Amino acid sequence: MTVGLDQYLFLSALLFAIGFFGVLARRNAIVIFMSLELMLMASTLALVAFSRFNGTYSGNVFVFFILAIAAAEVAVGLAIIVALFRHRKTVMVDELNALKN
Amino acid sequence: MAPDLLASLILVLPLASAALCALFLRRQGGLASAVSVTAAAAIAVCSGLLIFGGHREFPASWEWLRFGDFALSIGFKFDDLSALMLFVVSFVGFLIHVFSLGYMHDDPARGRYFGGLSIFMFSMLGIVLADNLLMIFIFWELVGFSSYLLINHWFERPSAAAASKKAFIVNRVGDFGFLLGIILCYWLNGTVNLSELAAKSSAGALVASTAVPLLLFCGALGKSAQMPLHVWLPDAMEGPTPVSALIHAATMVAAGIYMLCRVHVLMVPDALTAIMWVGTITALYAAICAITQRDIKKVLAYSTLSQLGYMVAAFGLGSLAVEHNVTTPGAAALAAGVGAAMFHLTTHAFFKALLFLGSGSVIHGCHHEQDIFKMGGLAKKMPVTFACFTIGVLAIIGMPGLAGFFSKDAILYLAMENNTSVFAVLTITAVLTSFYMVRMWKLTFLGAPRTESSEHAHEGGFTLWAPLVVLAILSIVGATGPLGLFPKLAGSVATLIPVAHGSAHTTILLVSLAVMLTGAAGAWFFYRSSENDALEQASPGFFRVLASKLWIDEAYGYYVAKIQQPFARALSFVEQIALAGFIIRGLAGVAGVIGIGARTLHIGNVHVYVYWFLIGVVLFWSYAMGLF
Repeated sequence: MTVGLDQYLFLSALLFAIGFFGVLARRNAIVIFMSLELMLMASTLALVAFSRFNGTYSGNVFVFFILAIAAAEVAVGLAIIVALFRHRKTVMVDELNALKN
Repeated sequence: MAPDLLASLILVLPLASAALCALFLRRQGGLASAVSVTAAAAIAVCSGLLIFGGHREFPASWEWLRFGDFALSIGFKFDDLSALMLFVVSFVGFLIHVFSLGYMHDDPARGRYFGGLSIFMFSMLGIVLADNLLMIFIFWELVGFSSYLLINHWFERPSAAAASKKAFIVNRVGDFGFLLGIILCYWLNGTVNLSELAAKSSAGALVASTAVPLLLFCGALGKSAQMPLHVWLPDAMEGPTPVSALIHAATMVAAGIYMLCRVHVLMVPDALTAIMWVGTITALYAAICAITQRDIKKVLAYSTLSQLGYMVAAFGLGSLAVEHNVTTPGAAALAAGVGAAMFHLTTHAFFKALLFLGSGSVIHGCHHEQDIFKMGGLAKKMPVTFACFTIGVLAIIGMPGLAGFFSKDAILYLAMENNTSVFAVLTITAVLTSFYMVRMWKLTFLGAPRTESSEHAHEGGFTLWAPLVVLAILSIVGATGPLGLFPKLAGSVATLIPVAHGSAHTTILLVSLAVMLTGAAGAWFFYRSSENDALEQASPGFFRVLASKLWIDEAYGYYVAKIQQPFARALSFVEQIALAGFIIRGLAGVAGVIGIGARTLHIGNVHVYVYWFLIGVVLFWSYAMGLF
């Protein structure tokens, strides 16, 4: 069986959906964060696949940028979650409802 | 001293005195009265220097505000007319300040009172010296304000509070017309400066308009209390008597006539005819009202109205010569009215201030009794007041040799020459004047004391009778004639007074003597020293008609209560429903409902925001796909 563009895109969409479902369903901020990373990776997979099948490098260049930014984002995001835990003694998002009022 | 500096000093002194009294001396009545009287004396000295120093038409004008091409300037126009008026205001004003020292000596709010007098002097002198109509208007309003303050001096009395409000509101009606007139004048002629208007007039470049003089006359209608805006003046007698003398007899109410004389170049024949009739009718109406009054100040108030009517009629009459004899309107013929009106204004200021101060002295002596039927026999108790008051009465009824005789004859002569029907009305008015003045004089001073208060009447102190003596002398010499002081004061204005010669002179003299004697004799024989009005007993129905003052106050009351108020309420209802209810509350309500809806979206839970985000993405995606 030949692995074609469709299969890659399907895998990418599946990963994205899993990630999105994780964001929707889970209550732990760290798990949500991981699900977000999963969604990000799903999109990079799609870009790499496009790059491979178009024979150009523009998709790969995008991926490098995304990885660099994702690394920075992880650093900031985890730091926020740690600070949040220190402050509120919890990372369960349904307990973090101080935005209202 | 430079004339413009003197003129500025005349304005600054009373303002400074008023500020001092209002800010620091409200509790120190003695000090406040000293400051105010000193300021009035200084004003009189400065005015004397200015008037008799031969200064006329000196340049004095400063730009105050500028909006684009329109500049509002503060300046002085000092000619013979304003010199005459300045003399009347500053000297009569000073005498009344002195009288107030005695009259208001025991008043607990003396500081406020003298502050009010000073602010009044400031405003009135501003009108006298102003060189343009807008500046006149500004001081005109200030005069109304100070009149309000002073009528309201005993504000704890509801009648005084109501009277001051009435005076202010009625004056606003007239002033609205005045302001419109000024604006129209500026629109038509491009200037409201008096000298520029006069220059344009002599160059024949003035835009003739009937509306401008009539609208300006509206201002005089209010301030000089002419029909139909006369209703405030009798009520204004609620103020202290010196105030009535200063503001509501001698100076402020004359400001309307003065203002008309200042703008006489704008007059056209039709407007003058209207002015003449308004004055004539007011003169007669007020004289009729005066007959039935019991309050000594009310008699004098109606007499003031009547004499103001004379002045207004004289102003209107003067130019009838233009209509009949001259084809193009010219200043010389117009000015005949100015001469007679200003002449009567001046003599009236002297003798009416004298009469009012005399009545003040009487009221003071009788322990604040104002009803003439409860007086009587005061001639022996208060000889100086009696002598001075008698001179005042003789002057107003036109006894030959006294000031009022000359000025009233000038007006009657003018009327006889120009308009016979006006002459007839004014002659009847003169009979009535003499009738009600002699009635009041006899009931007050002659016969036996009728009540306790007149039994124990006494002459006041020096400050109470000295001004009376000075004013009595002025009432004798303040006119033309052999002893006349008037030509020296008025300069060129005095040459404008119509003088009868030959047979006309004899006719006028005879008519004037006849009317005076008829009225005086009628009152002398009709009224007995009694506590009841002889006219009321002789003919109660007729008396009631006269005493009703022709129901004019009632008509205004009806109009305000039954027409204006319901109309205002209807408008208010419409405003509440349509504007405030529908548009303002309605728009606010729409925004509020949207806000309430949007607020429910804001849960505070991150999960819910993710769902909103999902919905947003779906909507965006479907829009991008062209699904809607």
